[in-house]
Amino acid sequence: MAETIIEPIENFGLSDKDRKKSLFSKIGVVGCGKDGRNIVRLTASAGLEVTFIEISQEKIDYALDKISTDLDTKIEGWGLTPGEKRMVMGRIKGSTDFAALKNCDFVIECVRYDESTGERSTPQRKEAFKNIENVVSPKAIIATNATTVIISELASELQHKDRCVSMHFPVAHAEAKLLEVVKGIYTSEEVYQQVLLFAKLIKYDTIEVHESSGLVSLRLLVIILNEACQMMMENVAAMESIDKMFEVVYGMRLGIFQMADIVGIEKIVSLMEDMFDEYGDKKYKPSPVLWRLYRTKQLGVSSGKGFFIYENGKPVRANIFI
Amino acid sequence: MKILVLNCGSSSIKYKLFAMDKGEELAQGAIEKIGLKGSFLKLSMPNGQKVILEGEILEHKIGIEYILGVITSKKYGCIESLDEIGAVGHRVVHGGEKFNSSVLIDAEVIKKMEECIDLAPLHNPPNLNGIYAISELIPNVPQVGVFDTAFHQTMPEHAYMYGLPYSLYEKYSIRRYGFHGTSHRYVSRRACEFLNIPYEEQKIITAHIGNGGSIAAIKDGVSIDTSMGMTPVEGLLMGTRCGDVDAGILSYIMEKENIGPQAISTIVNKYSGVIGISGVSSDMREIEDAIAAGHQRATLAMKMYDYRIKKYIGSYAAALGGLDVLVFTGGVGENQFSTRQAVCENMEYMGIKLDKEVNWGMRGKEKIISAPDSKVKVVVIPTDEEFMIASDTKDILGK
Repeated sequence: MAETIIEPIENFGLSDKDRKKSLFSKIGVVGCGKDGRNIVRLTASAGLEVTFIEISQEKIDYALDKISTDLDTKIEGWGLTPGEKRMVMGRIKGSTDFAALKNCDFVIECVRYDESTGERSTPQRKEAFKNIENVVSPKAIIATNATTVIISELASELQHKDRCVSMHFPVAHAEAKLLEVVKGIYTSEEVYQQVLLFAKLIKYDTIEVHESSGLVSLRLLVIILNEACQMMMENVAAMESIDKMFEVVYGMRLGIFQMADIVGIEKIVSLMEDMFDEYGDKKYKPSPVLWRLYRTKQLGVSSGKGFFIYENGKPVRANIFI
Repeated sequence: MKILVLNCGSSSIKYKLFAMDKGEELAQGAIEKIGLKGSFLKLSMPNGQKVILEGEILEHKIGIEYILGVITSKKYGCIESLDEIGAVGHRVVHGGEKFNSSVLIDAEVIKKMEECIDLAPLHNPPNLNGIYAISELIPNVPQVGVFDTAFHQTMPEHAYMYGLPYSLYEKYSIRRYGFHGTSHRYVSRRACEFLNIPYEEQKIITAHIGNGGSIAAIKDGVSIDTSMGMTPVEGLLMGTRCGDVDAGILSYIMEKENIGPQAISTIVNKYSGVIGISGVSSDMREIEDAIAAGHQRATLAMKMYDYRIKKYIGSYAAALGGLDVLVFTGGVGENQFSTRQAVCENMEYMGIKLDKEVNWGMRGKEKIISAPDSKVKVVVIPTDEEFMIASDTKDILGK
């Protein structure tokens, strides 16, 4: 039998008119911390090729390892097969060079939070935006994953400002598939609509939110959390009881304290300070309980201790050293 | 008349082109990995030469455009112009209760097909994409839809209803639909032609068994029961699907494992069956190798696989009130003689007597495998769903 003939298919199309590139054939993610990894995993699981940028090979390996572990957890929970995991991992590539984002038609900036301050450096993010613009085509969308007033500022120094958009991926739990999509001052309607399409592709629902500190999700969370901390300080009820009330009576998947541990105390404190600066209302000032956790580096699930004590990422008991 | 048959899956398109007047297959091939990295079109030339055409194929429409391009190309084609295509026949997985036979596709039919998406959210949308693409690329060519479920629409109410509240049937159309209908119809008819007996007067059980599998009971030419249900999970033990389980187990697992509807669906569809029991593979050839190497759970999986088929044959013989013909088809049914033997073992009491020598080693061709004195004729009939689709298409257009 003769060997199989292999040749390119392009010569066999009927016409060129329909052979345009798909809207999102390759996605880029800059920064592969917790939020970045989440986005990389979701996007690759939706069948898209993803390239992420990290500052060192060590960070790339760490991120890939964490994504692999996350997928293993999904397999354990019967949500994925090992074969599907291999396919997902095969779509993910890491690089230290922004040039690897060259053919991406959608890049999401996800520069991570500083572990000690809980803040994301604006100069660093501006730098990332510029680096992205230098390599991608003028039509590519550049987005940031953010909950603060930032996208217009990040876009302001770019050549094509209308392609910038902001979105927020919730981290509370795996089924929280609702994306807050934020239009900046410069964002064009076309770009906004394309982001809605991207959300659909990764099976997320969307809500439109105006550029504001805390958006909807975190503004709601911090106010309830502050009140819950206040009740705890007044000894109205035990922490577990407050969480139970929140879960059972209001039908939440998790209690408010547990949710705060998942989001990360350092992020919450820093966001609340940002909201206080923005809105000037003292209700946004972090409760002394939050400050105490923050200063003692009991930052939630990530540090193994927050409102609760965690073992293998699961809460085992309340933290008595609050 | 030349008829193109398209079978559009979620990331693949299989195609065959038939010259119906001569009963000849002119071309066949498949596109794989649509929308994914490394997509390609593979085809076999009449001289056996295999060809792979690689390139970006992002969606079904582009894939179909390439198929049309290839079959009209000088290098690998077999027709000179698209005008030679007289009709296109499509495989459509779920026709719900709306379709009990193949139909000529028009706007009204497309609307009804779209209403069936709910019943087969993974399968029907790509089938429809194929129809949309042909309407756009060669708009004047008539198209026919052939449904996997249509053949089983003759099942009586007492066979297709589940013992669940009737209101759920009224609200969500929850009932047995059955699948592989085109194959069951083709092999049952073909078996009667092959045996030279009248189709309309037989009690037939067809076992379409492969990685997915179903059994049908066919009386006087119509399906009266089949093992797959509202979804393809019910019935036989399959490569990765569990088949029949106690429905109470599902809510029990959901509670114990703290999982939702999606995860339980993954368990019964992807983690169960032969791979779930053996832990080796869902591929029967690998299971056979493992059994030869003494793998206990592979042996158990194979026993369960065979036993479930046997059980269904027994119950359908009861439903039919006897049995005249037993047909094996599908990847395993056509090739795995050990399973055929295990299934037919000790069935002499109901008239099934296998000719073990003829059966052993027999793969992939039409053959009587029962002993000459067997009351029930046991035959192997390789399935040809594409030919059935083409022949339905021709019949409908000839009307």
